[in-house]
Amino acid sequence: MSPARDLPKAVAALGVVALAFVPAAGMPAFYESFFYLVFFWVSLSTSWALLSGFAGYFSLGHAAFFGVGMYTTAALTTKFEVPFLATIPLGAGLAALLAASIGAVVFRLRRLRGELFALLTLAVTFVIATIILNTPIDGGAGVFMSAVPLPALTSTPTGTIYILGFIMCVITLATAWWVAHARLGMGLFAIHDDEDVAEVKGVPTFRYKIVAFALSGGIAGAVGSIHAMYVGFLTVAGTFELSVPLFVVLMSVLGGARHWFGPAIGATVITALLYAFISGGEAIMGRAIVGLVLIVAILWLPDGVVPALQKWRRRHRAAPAQAVRRAEVVPVMPSAPPAIGQRDILEVRGVTRRFGGLQALAGVDLGVREGEIFGLVGPNGSGKTTLINVISGFYPLTSGTITVDGAEIGHAPAHEIARRGVARTYQIPRPFANMTVLDNVMLCATFGGPVRSRAEIRDESVHWIGFTGLAGKEEAMPAELNLHERKFLELARALAARPKLLLLDEVLSGLNPAEVDNAIRLVRAIRAQGSTIVFVEHLMRAVVELSDRVAVLNEGKLFALGAPREVMRDPRVVGIYLGKAYAA
Amino acid sequence: MGQGMGAWRRRRVLAGIVGAGASLASPAILRAAPSGKPVRVGGTLSLTGFLAQTASIHKIAAEIMVEEINARDGFLGRPAEYVLLDDQSKPDVARSLYEKLITVDKVDLIMGPYATAPILAAMGVAQRYGKLIIQSSMGIPKLQTYAMAFPATPFGPEPDKTYPNVILDAMASLPAPPRSIVVLTSKFPSAQFMAQGMRAQAEKRGVKVPLYLEYESGNRDFGAIAARVKEADADFLWVGSLGLESNQILEALRKLDYKPKNSFHLYPAPGPLALSPDGNLVWSSTFLEPDEPFMSRPGMKKIAELYKERATKANLPYPIIDAQAAGMIASWQILEQGVNGAKSLEDKQIAAWLKKSVVTTVYGPTRFDGLYNHGAPAQLIRQVQDKTWKVVWPREFAAPGVKLLSA
Amino acid sequence: MPSATLLGQAMISGVLAGGMYGLLALGLSLSWGLLRLVNLSHFALAFLAAYLTYELGTTYHVPPWWAAALVVPAMFAIGMVQHWLFDRFKVNELASLLITFSFAIILEVAIQLYWTADYRRFETHYSTLSIKAGPFFIPVLELVLCMVAGVLAWGTWLWLRRTYVGKALRAAAEDADIAAAYGVDHRKLAYLLSGMGAAYAGIAGCFIALIATLAPAQIWAWLGVVFAVVIIGRLGNPLGALLAGMLIGASESLAMAVFSPAWAPVVSFSVLIAILLWDPEWL
Repeated sequence: MSPARDLPKAVAALGVVALAFVPAAGMPAFYESFFYLVFFWVSLSTSWALLSGFAGYFSLGHAAFFGVGMYTTAALTTKFEVPFLATIPLGAGLAALLAASIGAVVFRLRRLRGELFALLTLAVTFVIATIILNTPIDGGAGVFMSAVPLPALTSTPTGTIYILGFIMCVITLATAWWVAHARLGMGLFAIHDDEDVAEVKGVPTFRYKIVAFALSGGIAGAVGSIHAMYVGFLTVAGTFELSVPLFVVLMSVLGGARHWFGPAIGATVITALLYAFISGGEAIMGRAIVGLVLIVAILWLPDGVVPALQKWRRRHRAAPAQAVRRAEVVPVMPSAPPAIGQRDILEVRGVTRRFGGLQALAGVDLGVREGEIFGLVGPNGSGKTTLINVISGFYPLTSGTITVDGAEIGHAPAHEIARRGVARTYQIPRPFANMTVLDNVMLCATFGGPVRSRAEIRDESVHWIGFTGLAGKEEAMPAELNLHERKFLELARALAARPKLLLLDEVLSGLNPAEVDNAIRLVRAIRAQGSTIVFVEHLMRAVVELSDRVAVLNEGKLFALGAPREVMRDPRVVGIYLGKAYAA
Repeated sequence: MGQGMGAWRRRRVLAGIVGAGASLASPAILRAAPSGKPVRVGGTLSLTGFLAQTASIHKIAAEIMVEEINARDGFLGRPAEYVLLDDQSKPDVARSLYEKLITVDKVDLIMGPYATAPILAAMGVAQRYGKLIIQSSMGIPKLQTYAMAFPATPFGPEPDKTYPNVILDAMASLPAPPRSIVVLTSKFPSAQFMAQGMRAQAEKRGVKVPLYLEYESGNRDFGAIAARVKEADADFLWVGSLGLESNQILEALRKLDYKPKNSFHLYPAPGPLALSPDGNLVWSSTFLEPDEPFMSRPGMKKIAELYKERATKANLPYPIIDAQAAGMIASWQILEQGVNGAKSLEDKQIAAWLKKSVVTTVYGPTRFDGLYNHGAPAQLIRQVQDKTWKVVWPREFAAPGVKLLSA
Repeated sequence: MPSATLLGQAMISGVLAGGMYGLLALGLSLSWGLLRLVNLSHFALAFLAAYLTYELGTTYHVPPWWAAALVVPAMFAIGMVQHWLFDRFKVNELASLLITFSFAIILEVAIQLYWTADYRRFETHYSTLSIKAGPFFIPVLELVLCMVAGVLAWGTWLWLRRTYVGKALRAAAEDADIAAAYGVDHRKLAYLLSGMGAAYAGIAGCFIALIATLAPAQIWAWLGVVFAVVIIGRLGNPLGALLAGMLIGASESLAMAVFSPAWAPVVSFSVLIAILLWDPEWL
C-alpha cells in the first residue's frame, strides 16, 4: 500500500467524520441547510450517473423517481400518518420498482437506446406528473407538510435534515464507488462503449442495466422522500420541473459522468456557484456570471473535472515504478501433432436464419471436433459471418439447434453462450474504446471465464496480453494501437475467457505477410492450449495451412466439407467462387 | 433595477447626517431623522426565475417604503434597512436564505417573500426561530398556520367562501343577471382553491355551472378549451387564471369569433390584460387601485407617484401601482406600526401588539384577530374601462362616477 | 361525448399549435442530428429574436416581416459564431449541453436586464384574423406559421436529400473521416448548418412575438415538449420534426376536448410511449 494511495483515503475519511459532526458543532442553521442542499444534489447527480454516466443510457426522467419519492412521503405522512422515517425506504422502493419496470420493458428493445431512451424517460416523467396532479395524491392543491412530525435525530430540525441528507449522500457515494469497482460497474462501462460486444463477451447486459436503473431510481426516490420534509409544501409544478433532470446532467457532465466521484464534484461546484450571487443587488448579473463560469470551465476541461485531474496526474506521475507483471509464461509449442478428439464440440443441425425477406442461412449442418482447427469459407454473402453471429448469440436463430459441449445454446442469450465457453473476434476490431488494453482483456476474463479472484484475473490477462504480443501496452487506450495490434487485442480478449470454442472472423484481413505468419503461429499455439477453433477466412493460403478440415458455405447451406486441399480443388467449389463456366 | 443596496444605503446615511445637521441648526424642526445602528429587515424575492416579473414590483415598493419609514421615525428612531436576497423562484432556496438571514446575518426582523410556496418555506423557518413574518400574497389563508404570521392583504380567512359571493352580488346587479357560469381554472393551488369555491357558491345561489374545466398551469394551447367554452355558451365566464392565461384564453376565444358576455379573471398580469384588445370590460380581483377612495388614504398619493416614477425608470411596461405593489406597501406599514406600537423589536411583543390592534394601511383599517390572524375580507372587483383598471364593486369602493358596466 | 364540431376545431387548433412545436424543433433537430451538438440555447435564441421583433415593432414601428429580414440574418450570424466556439474547442456532445445551457442563461439574463422580467405583448391586428371554413375557424397567424414551417421543413428535407451540400452534410454526420476522404469539407458545412439552425430559431421567434406574450422565463416553457418532438421526429429529419410536432399538438388538443384538460399530457405522452414501444414502419 503506497502512501500516495492512503493519503486521499485518509483525508476522505476525516472529511466524512467532520461532516457528520457539523450539527453537533452548533453552526448557524444556514450552513446546515446549505450543506444539505449540496448533499442533495450530490446524491441526485451521482445516482443519475449510475445508469446514464456509467452505461451511457441517457435518462431525462430522473425527476420521475425523485417525484415518486417526494409524493410517497407526502401522501403517507399526511393522509395515513405513517411516521416520516418509515416512508423513506418506501419511497425508495417504489421508485426503484418503477425504474425496474420501465427497464424490464424498454431494455429488451435494442432500438430504444440513445435519444429514444431519453425521450421515453422524459415522457414517463410527464405522465407521472400529470397523474399526480389529477388524482388525490396532490390534485392541484399542493401538499402541506408542516404538521408532519420530524423525528429529533439532532437538537434542531435543520440538523436532522442535514444528517438525513448526509447519510443519504454517504450511502450514494458508497454505492457509486462499489458499483464502479465491482463486476457490475465493469459491465456497465462496457455497455457504454459497445453494448452488443459486451453482451457477447459475457456481460449480462439486460440484468445489469435493470440493476443500475433500479439503484439509480431508488436513490433518487429516497432523496425525494427526505426533500419533502425540507421543502414543506409540495406542488407538482415545483417537483417535476425541468431543472432536476437538467441539473443532474449538467453536474455530471461538469464533474465527469463516467467516474463515481465526478458528479459529486460537479454538484458541489454548481450548488456553490448558485449561492455565490444571492444578494439582491447582484442577483441578476450574478446568474450571467455563473453561466460564464460554467462555459469557461467546460471549455477548459471538456471531459469534466475528474478526467482532467486524472490526465494531469498521469502526466506528472513518474514512469510506473511498479511495472505490470510481464508475462512469464511462454506459449507452449508442442512438437507432436495435436490430438483431435472424437466427439463434436460444436454441433450445428438445420440452422436457419431469416432477416425479413432474406434467408441468410438456409439449413446448415456441420460438426466441429474437439481440438480441431476448422476453416469456414465461401463466397461473399454465403452466410459465414451470419453463422458466427448466430453461434455466438449475436442473433437468435430462426430454427434448428446448436449444441456446444453437449449443451443446447440456440436460444440462449449471448452472455450465457459466452459463459459456456464460446468466444469470438470481430473482423473489424471492436475494443471498448474508453478502457485500457488491460481493462479490455480483464473484462473478458471476468465475464467469460470461471469465477476467480481479481488478482488471478489480472495475472491471467497480463499473460494473454503478452501471449498475443502486446506486452508493454497494457495501459494504452485502443485508439493508440494500430490495426495489427487491435486485431491481436481481439484475440487476447477472446482468449482471456478461456474458451472451449473460439470463433475467428477474418482475423487475417488487412495484415501484411509477416503479420499473417505471426498470426498463423498464434492460432496454432492457441489450439495447443486446448481450444477448438473455427475461423472464417478469405486468405486461401492460411486456410490451407491452418485447417484440419474446411467447410464451404454457399447461399446459406453447407456446400462441401473435407480436408483442405481436396475441398479447394473440388471443381464445384471453384465454380461457386469463380462462376460455373470457369469450373467446367 | 440594478441599483445595489449600497447606493441607497449611502443616500440614507447622508440624509441622516443632513437631517441631524438640520435639526441642530434649526430647532424649529421637531422630528429628528432616525439615527444609530440600522434595524435590519431580511427577506427574499424571486428576482430571477419564473416569478421574477412580480418581484421587481415588490422590490420597488419595498424600497419606497423603507425610504418613507426613514423619512419619519424609522423603527424606534433607528433607520430601517432591507437586506434583500434572491430566492431564484425556488422554495428550497428561499428556506435556506431565510435561515441565512436569521442565523448568519442575524437580522432583527424578517419580511415575507412573494408567492405561496416560498412564503410557506419562509414561514417554517420563521416558526422555528420565533420570528414574526408578514406576507402579502398567500392566496390560501388556511395554510397560514403559524401564530406569528400576519397577512398584509385582506383576503379574509375564507376567501373561497366570501369572495365568490362578492362576485355573485356584482353579477346579480347587472341588468341581465347571469344564470349560468363556466368555471375554468389553472391547477395552481391558489387559483384552483378559489375556483372550487366559486363553483360551490354559485350552485348554492342557483347559478348553474354547465362546465368546470381545469388545465395545468404550464398549458400552451388553449384552442380546445376555448372551443369547449364556446360550445357551453354560458352567461358568464370565470377564469382562475394567473399571469398570461387570461390573455391566451380570450385570444383563443376571439379566434373562434366568440366573445364571452362578461368574464372574470382571478390573478392575471394586470398590464397585458388591460391593454389587450380582448380585455375591455373584463373583471378581475383587486384590493386597491390608484383611484378614490384609496388615494385619499394616508401617504397613498405620494407613494403612488414615487412608484410610477421608479417603475418607469426601471423600464417596467406597466408602471401603475396596484394591489401587487400595495401588498408590499401594506406589509411595511404593518411592520412599522407594529414595531413603533409595541415599542419593541422583539417579535413576540410586536405580534402580541398586532393581534390586539387595528393597523391603518393603504387597505384601510386592518385587524388580525380572526382565524389564521386574518381580519375581515376586503377583496374587490375591478374592471377594465378605457384600458385602465377601475374598482367597480362593492359600490362603496368605486371612485365617484365609476360603475360596473355590462359587456 | 363532444360534438363533431368541437372535435374538428380541437384538431385544427392542435395541428396549428403543433406547427409551432415543429418550427422550434426544426433547428434543434438539424444541429443535433447532423452536428451531434445538443443546442439548449436554441430556445433562448428564438426568444431573443422574438424580443428584437417586439422592440423593432413597438419602438420603431417596423412591420414584422421587415423585422424578420433584419433579425433572422442576425441569428444566422450568431449561430455561426456559436459554432466557431464549438469548433475551436472541439466540443463533444455532452459538453455542448452544458455550454449551450449556460449560453441560454446568459441570454436570458441579457433579456431580463434590457426588457425586465415583466410580460410584454406585441399587439398587432394580425392576431385577430381568422378564416371561417364551415363551422370551423382557422386563425390566420397560426396558419401562416404552419405554412412557413411546412415550406421550411420540406425545403430543408429536399435540400438535404437532393443537393450535394445536403448529402455531404448527412455523410459527414455519419462518418466525418470517410466523408472528408471524399472531399467533404465538414467544417465549412458545419458553420452553414449551425447558422441555419439559429436562423430557424429566429423565424420561430418572429412568430412567437406575434402570437405569444413574452417573458424571459418563457424560454424554458417549450423545452420539454420540443425535445420530445425532436426525438420522436428522428434527429436530423426536418419533415419528421414537423409531423411529430403536429402529432403531439393534435393529440394534446383532442385530449383536452374530450377529457379534463389537465389530463392532456398523459394522453399525448402515453401515445408517444406507445409509438416508441411499437415502432411502426411509417414513423
